[in-house]
Amino acid sequence: MDFTEINHLLELARLELSNEEKEKIAHDLAKILDYVNQLQEVKTDNLEPMAGGTFSKNILRDDEINPQKLNLEKEGYFEVPPIF
Amino acid sequence: MIKDLHDKLINQEITATQLVEDYFKVIKEKDSQIQAFLTLTKTQALEEAKKVDEKISRGGKIGILEGIPYAVKDNILVKGVKTTAGSKILENYVASYDATVIKKLKNEGTILLGKTNQDEFAMGSSTENSGFFITKNPWDLTRVPGGSSGGSAAAVSAQMCAFSLGSDTGGSIRQPAAFCGIVGLKPSYGAVSRYGLISMASSLDVIGSLTQTVEDAEIVFQAITGQDKMDSTSCEVKQIQATRYKIQDTRFGLPQEYFVKGLDEEIRDKIEAVIQKLQNQKIQIVEKSLPSTPYALPCYYIIMPAEVSSNLARYDGIRYSSITNYPACAKPACRQGRALAGRQSPITNLRDLYFKTRGYGFGQEVRRRIILGTYVLSKGYYDAYYKKAQKVRRLIIEEFNKIFENVNFLITPTTPTPAFKIGERSADPLSMYLSDIFTVAANIGGLPAINLPIGFTKNNLPIGLQIIGPYGSDYSLLQIAKTIENIVKVSL
Repeated sequence: MDFTEINHLLELARLELSNEEKEKIAHDLAKILDYVNQLQEVKTDNLEPMAGGTFSKNILRDDEINPQKLNLEKEGYFEVPPIF
Repeated sequence: MIKDLHDKLINQEITATQLVEDYFKVIKEKDSQIQAFLTLTKTQALEEAKKVDEKISRGGKIGILEGIPYAVKDNILVKGVKTTAGSKILENYVASYDATVIKKLKNEGTILLGKTNQDEFAMGSSTENSGFFITKNPWDLTRVPGGSSGGSAAAVSAQMCAFSLGSDTGGSIRQPAAFCGIVGLKPSYGAVSRYGLISMASSLDVIGSLTQTVEDAEIVFQAITGQDKMDSTSCEVKQIQATRYKIQDTRFGLPQEYFVKGLDEEIRDKIEAVIQKLQNQKIQIVEKSLPSTPYALPCYYIIMPAEVSSNLARYDGIRYSSITNYPACAKPACRQGRALAGRQSPITNLRDLYFKTRGYGFGQEVRRRIILGTYVLSKGYYDAYYKKAQKVRRLIIEEFNKIFENVNFLITPTTPTPAFKIGERSADPLSMYLSDIFTVAANIGGLPAINLPIGFTKNNLPIGLQIIGPYGSDYSLLQIAKTIENIVKVSL
């Protein structure tokens, strides 16, 4: 994995890393990907991918606002640095 | 053990206050070396104990867990108490509500002593990845307690609390329980609500207990299990069946893939000795095969980081809390900006705040997994990695379902080696990942599994045996584990 690829992933994940760590991460990821690539030898042609560990469906509740949980910093808004 | 304490409380041989004081005495004695606790909640604990004592002296009836002191892993929310998940990015976060398990234990009158150390966001197998300090194994202070629930395991093992709660995503309860010589229960996925558990990998995470005995694990499980409308993946109570097997009618399977090269010889010998004892009692044990076993860990190391990268996107430096020790400034955003500015270039916009907070606040292993997860989910790689892993996941689950048509439970080692030395594996992530090789499959399939301590190596390090049951067999698993615990104990 080269620096261009690592930089792209860091951009997607919103992470800042030093160049030194980028090198270490690239090295570690290569080893880990090599290990997980074993899965390619498994025949999975007729298998549907799972979405979780069980076949249960999500049990949803009504979406109700709990006013006690609204505890925002100022007049109901978060304060953040300028976006641009 | 919990029952003994309960009896002492109702017979007024000891007060709840004295019990709490006693545990804090042990903590004071031992924890400067072991370092299992991140936060202690002594004031609240003594207040709670007083209430229990008043109730007892009024002649009131107390429940089995009432007045029993426990500890909880720091990724489980306790209202008003600092909850860091072992991460610097949450070093100032105080939980604004109770996790469902905490609410349930509060209702039982259980007394919280403190929050325990863990690998950051539960990512690790040694507690060396904590953002704060390394917990030591009570049996050998030069060794790791395992992880990620290492603080919870060490606290129970060193008798600094009666029991503790942990979370298990790939072995994080069972592996430290094995390393510390205690019982660790990972319930079926969904049997215990995850509401208020800081998410790591949501399709794998489950809360469970670390205890001295299987009976204690059963008492705690009964208290924390149940459907919860705040967790859409918590299962219906009927899915956790209460069917009881008689040990004589139970068939155990030994999956040969768990007894391969790389398994420590002393562990192999101890497990074989237990199997021999069970066979002497005419208990049926058959050798079985689970051919997909070698693929469970690689499958896990795709699905887990993928979920991690999504779950940890929420830590943006704005919500929860900001990273600290920064020069004072009126506006919080400015405060964050100044603080991080001291390290590198100043923060002038929101984007910078994200990059710097996350780059600085997350530790190395967390960053590694976020990047790996981002990679396997990114355009061009999703099918080859994530989708493939989810197909293999189905294969593994189908294999388990098939084997459980023939046997009731599986017996395996919990870990390939006993507790390793601090620093031994921290430089090589892959060698650390391999410590979970026998535990991840149960998470992949959502199955209940338990670690039982079965003896020690020549160097006096604990050895653990794992029993895995079919989905929803939690109560039967506990029943069977109790029987095996007795058989092992008698002959120890």
